[in-house]
Amino acid sequence: MNILLVEDDLDTAEFISKGLQQHGEIVQHCDNAEQTMLLASSSEFDVIIFDRLLPNMDGLDAVRILRASKVTIPIIMLTALSDTSDRVAGLDAGADDYLVKPFAFSELYARVKALARRQPLKESSLEICIGELKLERTTRQVFRAGKEIELMPKEYQILEFMMQNPEQLITKTMLLEQVWGFSFDPKTSLVQTHVSRLRNKIDKPFAFDMIKTVRGCGYLLSRQQDDE
Amino acid sequence: MMNKHQILQTLKLSTLSWCVLLIVLFTFIETSLWLDKNEQKNEFTEYAEEIEHIYEEQGPRALLKELELTHRPKWTDDEAKIHLLEEEWLVSGFRDGKLMLGADTDLPTADTPTWFTLNLEDDAPTQVLTTTLYFNEHAYAHFWQKQEETQRLKGIFAYELFAWFIPLSWLTLCILFAFITRRDSKPIQAIIGQLDAVAQAPDSARIKVDTTDPQWQALGQSINTMLDEIVHLHNNMKTMSVGIAHDLKTPLSRVSNRLQSMYQDIDDAHALHFHLEKANQDLTHIITTFNNLVRLNAIESGKHIQGFSVFNLSELVNELAFSYQPVFEDSGRQFEISVVPSVQCYGDRDLISQLLCNLLENALEYANNNAQVWIRLQSHTQSALLQIGDDGPGIPDKDKHKVFDKFYRADISRSKPGNGLGLSIVKAICDVHNAQICLLDKQQGAVFNIEIPMP
Repeated sequence: MNILLVEDDLDTAEFISKGLQQHGEIVQHCDNAEQTMLLASSSEFDVIIFDRLLPNMDGLDAVRILRASKVTIPIIMLTALSDTSDRVAGLDAGADDYLVKPFAFSELYARVKALARRQPLKESSLEICIGELKLERTTRQVFRAGKEIELMPKEYQILEFMMQNPEQLITKTMLLEQVWGFSFDPKTSLVQTHVSRLRNKIDKPFAFDMIKTVRGCGYLLSRQQDDE
Repeated sequence: MMNKHQILQTLKLSTLSWCVLLIVLFTFIETSLWLDKNEQKNEFTEYAEEIEHIYEEQGPRALLKELELTHRPKWTDDEAKIHLLEEEWLVSGFRDGKLMLGADTDLPTADTPTWFTLNLEDDAPTQVLTTTLYFNEHAYAHFWQKQEETQRLKGIFAYELFAWFIPLSWLTLCILFAFITRRDSKPIQAIIGQLDAVAQAPDSARIKVDTTDPQWQALGQSINTMLDEIVHLHNNMKTMSVGIAHDLKTPLSRVSNRLQSMYQDIDDAHALHFHLEKANQDLTHIITTFNNLVRLNAIESGKHIQGFSVFNLSELVNELAFSYQPVFEDSGRQFEISVVPSVQCYGDRDLISQLLCNLLENALEYANNNAQVWIRLQSHTQSALLQIGDDGPGIPDKDKHKVFDKFYRADISRSKPGNGLGLSIVKAICDVHNAQICLLDKQQGAVFNIEIPMP
């Protein structure tokens, strides 16, 4: 992936760049809004990581200007203001995702990958197939290896989101946001409980587990059986 | 004792009032004197015209008769002045420029009625009216009239008044103002003294106002209310700082221990990984505490109110309750959901979600392992009634008033996860929605009742 990182704090920028490069991504760093405008409209990037507070310009305004000049590259905003109204403002301005500092690198990377991949996959497609799994949106039916599986509404939503982002790390926070619409973190086992019930239904009766746990980070939906 | 500032204030006030008083008095007396003189001048003019008339119609004899002069007297300058003072009038008649009768004097004269001020007596100046009467081309007379005695006395009185009144009245006013200021400052002095005592012991000492003046009593009461509120806030802050310190100390010291262990296990990749994961968990706990504090502050500031809208509370409660049902089941507790459909609510959906989650989490954390937990929603005139409760063990009565305090934890040992901010956030969310929350008395477990006003 080709990623543009807009961040004026050099320590944070280095932390993110290093992490992304370790995963084999190409990162271009820039620390001001003017240069960002130039780069974003002239180069091909898969994702822009954008700090909310930049010298000379509010990141929100910068995103608005980018969107107004028909730049459609997915944007994820970073901010220190952990509040819903700011989150809504960020999304309204044209950002695609919003992450509050301090964050775990794995969380950021999961979101970046989800954003980059979301583009080619049509959200409106009526059927999603990932390996043995098939999800039909019109009837809300789920099949694994041709066998229908009955899911509760939340379980269905979790699986749908995982199938939209296969082979990618999906964090607990992402599920809370996408499935429950929470902007806060209930210290709960809510997500674990639902994922565990989902596993009981789509993995337990079958040959191998498709939903894998990434320790301390989240979950991953995989087409293949693990090698080990 | 009065201080310098008070003395200055007294002087300023009294001088100002005194000046205003003087100006009013001066204007009044001067106007009165001017009116009197004008009236006399008018009468004098009429009298002069009458004399001219008598002379023209009946001749000089009739005029002498009118002036009650039996012969044609002639007065020297001194005699003339005495005559003017005693008889209050004086005349000098001339024919062809020669004095025929009356005063041979150098008193000032005028063609038309005019007032003059003369020094005829020692004590005060004398006001004299004078005019010239032209009888024919040969004969004319100067006529003088002294100011009427009552008016003269009035003038003298005014003069004396101003001479004595000015210093005397000023002195009286100063004394009066000093007295008033002193009297007024007495309760202030008392309050200042008591406030000094309060500064020494802000938790216990309070103001007592001795005066019966309701204004001072109200002031004393307001100060006491303010002091109570400040003490309350101060105590809150103390609890909060202690809470923050306590809540961060444990995970921070654990991180510190982990770092030391990492030094020890620096060559063991597996152990290093384990320590890193544990340290990360502790730091996440710290960050969560701070996030909750920031969130709590944002809720308390009321910034969400502008985004309030009407939404279906029943749907939200159902959605969350059914989400939590498997969590309760897995924990071995029974969870009963009883929601009346279509109960509306005006507020912030995200905040109400958090309110529900925090209360359910609270039940998950503190209710007995095999407890019965329930959530109920019903409507009542003008309000939605929400109840989230469990059947044990509940919160001791003595601690019930503290459950919404920041960093209050039912388990003093802080052995369970959490940071004691969950219920504070619940309370803050209720407050911005004008909702009432109470922890019911005489229950087996913790039962929270929330009354949210309906749109």
